[in-house]
Amino acid sequence: MSVVDVRTRFLASCRATRYLVTDLGLGLLALITFAAVTAAAALTPTGVGLAAVPPLTSWTRRLASRQRRRAAALLGTPVPERYQPLEGALSRRVRTALSDPAAYRDVAWLFVHGVAGTAAGYLALALPLFAVNAFTVPLWWQAVPGTSLLGYSIDSWPAALSGIVIGLGYALLSLLVPVPLAKATARLSRVLLRPPKQAQLAAVSAARAAALEAHELELKRIERDLHDETQNRLVAVLMNLGMLERALAEAPEPAQRLAVRAHEAASDALTNLRKVVRTIHPPVLTERGLDGAIAALAASSPVSCAIAVDDFPRLPAAVETAAYFAVAEALTNLAKHSGATSAQVRLRTETEFLVVEVEDDGRGGAGARPGGGLAGIDRRVAALGGRTMLISPPGGPTVVRVELPCGL
Amino acid sequence: MRVVIAEDDALLREGLAMLLASEDIEVAAAVDNAADLLGALAAHAPDALLVDVRLPPDFRDEGLRAAVEARTRVPGLPVLVLSSYVEDSSAAELLQDGAGGVGYLLKQRVGKVNEFVDALRRVAGGGTVIDPEVIAQLLVRRRANDPLHRLTPREREVLGLMAEGHSNTGIAERLVISDGAVNKYIRNIFSKLDLPPSESGHRRVLAVLAYLKA
Repeated sequence: MSVVDVRTRFLASCRATRYLVTDLGLGLLALITFAAVTAAAALTPTGVGLAAVPPLTSWTRRLASRQRRRAAALLGTPVPERYQPLEGALSRRVRTALSDPAAYRDVAWLFVHGVAGTAAGYLALALPLFAVNAFTVPLWWQAVPGTSLLGYSIDSWPAALSGIVIGLGYALLSLLVPVPLAKATARLSRVLLRPPKQAQLAAVSAARAAALEAHELELKRIERDLHDETQNRLVAVLMNLGMLERALAEAPEPAQRLAVRAHEAASDALTNLRKVVRTIHPPVLTERGLDGAIAALAASSPVSCAIAVDDFPRLPAAVETAAYFAVAEALTNLAKHSGATSAQVRLRTETEFLVVEVEDDGRGGAGARPGGGLAGIDRRVAALGGRTMLISPPGGPTVVRVELPCGL
Repeated sequence: MRVVIAEDDALLREGLAMLLASEDIEVAAAVDNAADLLGALAAHAPDALLVDVRLPPDFRDEGLRAAVEARTRVPGLPVLVLSSYVEDSSAAELLQDGAGGVGYLLKQRVGKVNEFVDALRRVAGGGTVIDPEVIAQLLVRRRANDPLHRLTPREREVLGLMAEGHSNTGIAERLVISDGAVNKYIRNIFSKLDLPPSESGHRRVLAVLAYLKA
């Protein structure tokens, strides 16, 4: 091993150890939560247990979400999350929580991670401490003879000096073990926490398709109101101001100036209004369909951009709009910040989800700023029951992944 | 000049009628739906139509459909279409018959009263007036196999101004070049787009159409 090699390994091992120590913390929380869940199950006949279901579910989801994000970041691949939203009266929330197949997988994860994550974290923490302990035995064995962590009693100098050899062994282990161990716990979490295929199928569909259709009608109504009502009013104002301006040709200069200014303001308002309407439902989608609109975005991106759009039927307007703006925002962001030289946009349907991925070969390490463009996309996507993921390990590649239920 | 207006918004319809009247343009009829537009076409035989793209009942493109229909009934009938937003395929559809006398403008252009009336007169005279925003949108959407790639940037600029409805003299003034130079550019455009030699007004429309459809 060269010096550089040791250094990289050391740093990677430090990162993995940090990951595992967090695993330890989450593992202890998972164990406590698992105990609480068991207690709630035992108390179900009294009704107290049922009342505890929604808060326990929310808390478990928070732990599991945290672990999904951590595992996704470590493994560099997304761990999808799919929950039925907990809403409405207590009885309804209880029913939703208990009927969600993800809840049972989460509880299984609580137990498995509670045991495996805690053990792995303990090991990662203990190995370097053991190494330090063994290394330093020659320094203090005379002060506290007979005690040590080495598994045999230290009562002579040769025994004490053997500590150095054993310390070296521990040091080597703490350099080599954490990286694969962290990967192993992350994989274990991924297997338990990603939704099974049939759950993806069974969820939603009919109700969601109806909701999307209602949403689409609503979008079209708003768009029409803005175009046909508000815009026409403004155009009428603008026209009257235009005529006023002409009538004022002979009037004193301040009056003319006011008319011109009013005209400009109304004209700006109209231009802004058209922009707003465009963000509600861009006409390019109606004209060219989602694939054409995405191709237009790719063509106008300053970063060279390949697209792969699978063949699927027209999706609800709200879904196409959200996908369109997600791609637009991702392409804008990567052009501004990533330093990428090429990008790829992929659209495909997976069971009843539209999956949009934008990947670049930039420097990675991107984070979503609160209030930033990606946060806006996430709001839009979440409103449709979908989710947004940003996977951007240092050094890249960065992937923005959006999953939208599309009612197919 | 006698004009029929089709606009469903009452305030705007009356405003347009008043504006045209003040310009000594006679408004033969002002209607609020597509069926009445075709009725008024038969009853009044106007010199030009001024039509909103979106009309009742569905507020999609009933106005545009009616305008296309009117031009099949009266070939070459000048039509100026007003739209709430830019949609380049609409303009191309209107120009499809290659006869000219077509305008496609964003609604808000009526605010610039003089320019708007000027555009209407040019359309009524058989000219073509396409909104600058349509032109701008087309420029960013060029595809690789575009026949317009054969044109030089300057020739494309001249073609864009032709699409906005400017005459040769107007183009010369805008680009600060001589009429002769404009003529040369236009001849190059015609030959690069393989437009057959014929009466030049017609070729002008075909060139604009090629531009819109590219």
